[in-house]
Amino acid sequence: MQVTLKAEELKNKLGFINHAVSNKQQLPILLNILLEAEDHKLIISSTDLEIGIQIELKAEVKQTGKITVPAKTFSELINSLPADTLTIESDGSNCVVKTNKTKSVFATMSANEFPRLFEERGVLLASINAEELKKELNAVVFSASIDIARPSLSGVYVEQEENGFLLVATDGYRLSLKHFSAGKDDKFNLLEGKSNMIVPARAFKEALAIKEETGTIDLYVSLTHNQIIFEQGSTILISRLIEADFPNYEKIIPVDFSVVASFDREEMLKAVRICSIFARDIANVIKFSLQTNKIVVSAGENIVEVDSKIKGEENEIAFNSRYLLDALSNLPSDNINFEMTGPLNPGVFKTADDASYLHLIMPIKVQE
Amino acid sequence: MNDQLDITWQQVLKDLKKTVSTANFFTLFANTGLLSLADNIATIATPSTVVRDLLYKRFYKDVKSALDTQTKQDNELLFIVQALQQNSTLKEKSGPLFSADQPVRATHDKETSPVLKTDIKSSQPSMVGHLPRVRKEYNFSTFAVSSTNQLAFVSSQNVAQNPGQSYNPFFIYGPVGVGKTHLLHAIANHIYTQNPDRKIIYITSEEFTNEVVEAIKNNETSRMKRRFRTAALLLIDDIQFIEGKDRVQEELFHTFNILIDQGSQIVLSSDRPPQEIKKLEKRLSSRFAGGLTVDIEAPDFELKTAILLKKAEKYGWELSINVAKLLANGAQDTRSLEGLLLRAITVATSLQTDITEEIAMKALGRAAEEKRGSLHADDIIKEVCNFYSIKPTQLKGPKRDASLVRARQITMYMLKEELKLTLVEIGNILGGRDHTTVMHGVDKIEHQLGGDVHISQDISGIKQLLHV
Repeated sequence: MQVTLKAEELKNKLGFINHAVSNKQQLPILLNILLEAEDHKLIISSTDLEIGIQIELKAEVKQTGKITVPAKTFSELINSLPADTLTIESDGSNCVVKTNKTKSVFATMSANEFPRLFEERGVLLASINAEELKKELNAVVFSASIDIARPSLSGVYVEQEENGFLLVATDGYRLSLKHFSAGKDDKFNLLEGKSNMIVPARAFKEALAIKEETGTIDLYVSLTHNQIIFEQGSTILISRLIEADFPNYEKIIPVDFSVVASFDREEMLKAVRICSIFARDIANVIKFSLQTNKIVVSAGENIVEVDSKIKGEENEIAFNSRYLLDALSNLPSDNINFEMTGPLNPGVFKTADDASYLHLIMPIKVQE
Repeated sequence: MNDQLDITWQQVLKDLKKTVSTANFFTLFANTGLLSLADNIATIATPSTVVRDLLYKRFYKDVKSALDTQTKQDNELLFIVQALQQNSTLKEKSGPLFSADQPVRATHDKETSPVLKTDIKSSQPSMVGHLPRVRKEYNFSTFAVSSTNQLAFVSSQNVAQNPGQSYNPFFIYGPVGVGKTHLLHAIANHIYTQNPDRKIIYITSEEFTNEVVEAIKNNETSRMKRRFRTAALLLIDDIQFIEGKDRVQEELFHTFNILIDQGSQIVLSSDRPPQEIKKLEKRLSSRFAGGLTVDIEAPDFELKTAILLKKAEKYGWELSINVAKLLANGAQDTRSLEGLLLRAITVATSLQTDITEEIAMKALGRAAEEKRGSLHADDIIKEVCNFYSIKPTQLKGPKRDASLVRARQITMYMLKEELKLTLVEIGNILGGRDHTTVMHGVDKIEHQLGGDVHISQDISGIKQLLHV
């Protein structure tokens, strides 16, 4: 193969391609990325078996063909090259990268060894404004467990709704829930047969990292191949779906509350940050004391007062500082309502202007 | 998935594990499964397109050969993408949010918070706690009494009721596993329940030695002195270990005097009476003997039976008196008694029955079996000599009197049977006899075993002496 393209463009895309390069040494082919030259384009692919990424670049193709090159050295080289046009040539064994003044030769592996990332895109589930989706996803995905030993919790539960999705993520200590509804330009198609699935949280996190100028992101699902595809512009992200039972999240969402406190997210985040310094020594326990017109945030003897409008009886509850910091950094609005019934029941954070979102945290029981 | 297929696939995976590198195995073969084997076409489920592709390209041969070996047929492989339900026990893994009995106590971090810990502690009434190093379950009511330990028991109760007044110091001695430590703990517990605020120190002489050494090393002798000399009750277990430690004895001597003067109770235990502890300063041994010295003898049969019944009750089992008697015969001291009981309980639990005589026999049998492992040639020789009232030198010597020859041949036979020694080894042990002599001896006894009643009686008698 022989293909010429702008080094700068390749450089921009390689960063994301590397997200799916395996760091496991055992399967050498997965340490490589696949380069395919077709008519007027170069297709780059990588996979670590969990997810796969495929990006198309415009290029001048003199001779079609495909080859795999070691991801690490290839990226390092491309990043070091001057902004210039470069030529990639391969005779099927070696791969040569040339610019005006440089020439580099790579050891390669046959493109036939590289696994196919997907066979079909599947059914188009939705075309959504990428900005909107990413903003909402951020407020949900962080709650998922990073422990892959608990498959169902390491994913985000996605259920189709009338005009959008329900997204739920939990790690067993906290839970985020969002009813994502379509904007005016968004399109939704209902899947036949199955209306819910668990998508690995990692796939969503990577989807958030896609850098494309196109404003729409397309979601495809293929149930026969057990896969979901995010496609934005010329970037495709493939992930498998998780086949497991998602815990019954509905039963743990409190239907009632005895006190509600409204506060400003930024101000509360600052208060929790201060207390978390001292909370480190006491198992990260941070206490909220809901009092008239304020919430007293405390870690041991260290207190910060946060102005708040309280409706209902005074009460106290304690949380792990890490979960509080995560939540307050990711809540999608600045006006927050905090609802609780007692020190033993989950505390619920809601966005004041939007009823479609909630985040809840299991409290820590502290004895007086 | 069909069970049979599942088993086959597990076998295949087991074989593959040997040929495929571990990391590859876990990344590629996790969540795979065998769906069907119809018409010699094996349909194999894989979790994703990528994995399917890799398996097909790189591991077709490995999988095929493993599968063919398993099924003893020539199979074609068909890899498809199909998600298998991942095994997860939701209940225990989903975290406190989803556990059934809400509300739950959420310990977000593994370590419990120090705040929580101290809170729990302070919320407990002080009586519920117990003394450091003193086991709560060792009290007077759990102590089995019989004629061998009656005196020790009654005087211990007396000491516990009137500390510092009746017998001071109180010195208990006796062999291992007769309950010395139990009585010490019981005294401590009793005084503690009467008055939790009194300063009680329970310590072994080993620890006492360490403290003295540590204190000297760190120049903190005054602190240590303060600690011991303010005690209202000082119990030192296994005091015989301070033998020959002059500095420790000196320290103990002074502490001793001060405590006695201020009316604090001292209780000591040892495996022998004070005057028999060698390298113990005279002034100490006379002081030890200055109060009441009682001994506990090894438990007799009735006591062992009683102890068994008590211990069984502690573990929540009911023993019939016959079973208890049976077990009591199998052990000499209370520790091995408890071991025997636990063994019987384990056997009974695994068979889900009560502890019957049969079970007890089993436990005894296994205990004997284990004992056999520790059997030594000298033991056999000793017991044979005991049995026939001869001396080992005679047994090993050259004389060939009829009675000696018989004993010698029985020894050969038992060394061979019980210890599986070689003929040459046996010959060497028995005064350098030729291996053919040994062979002849063993053969002869084996032969006579069938016909001669006396021989088999003799052998079983010796075996009994050996507890095998």
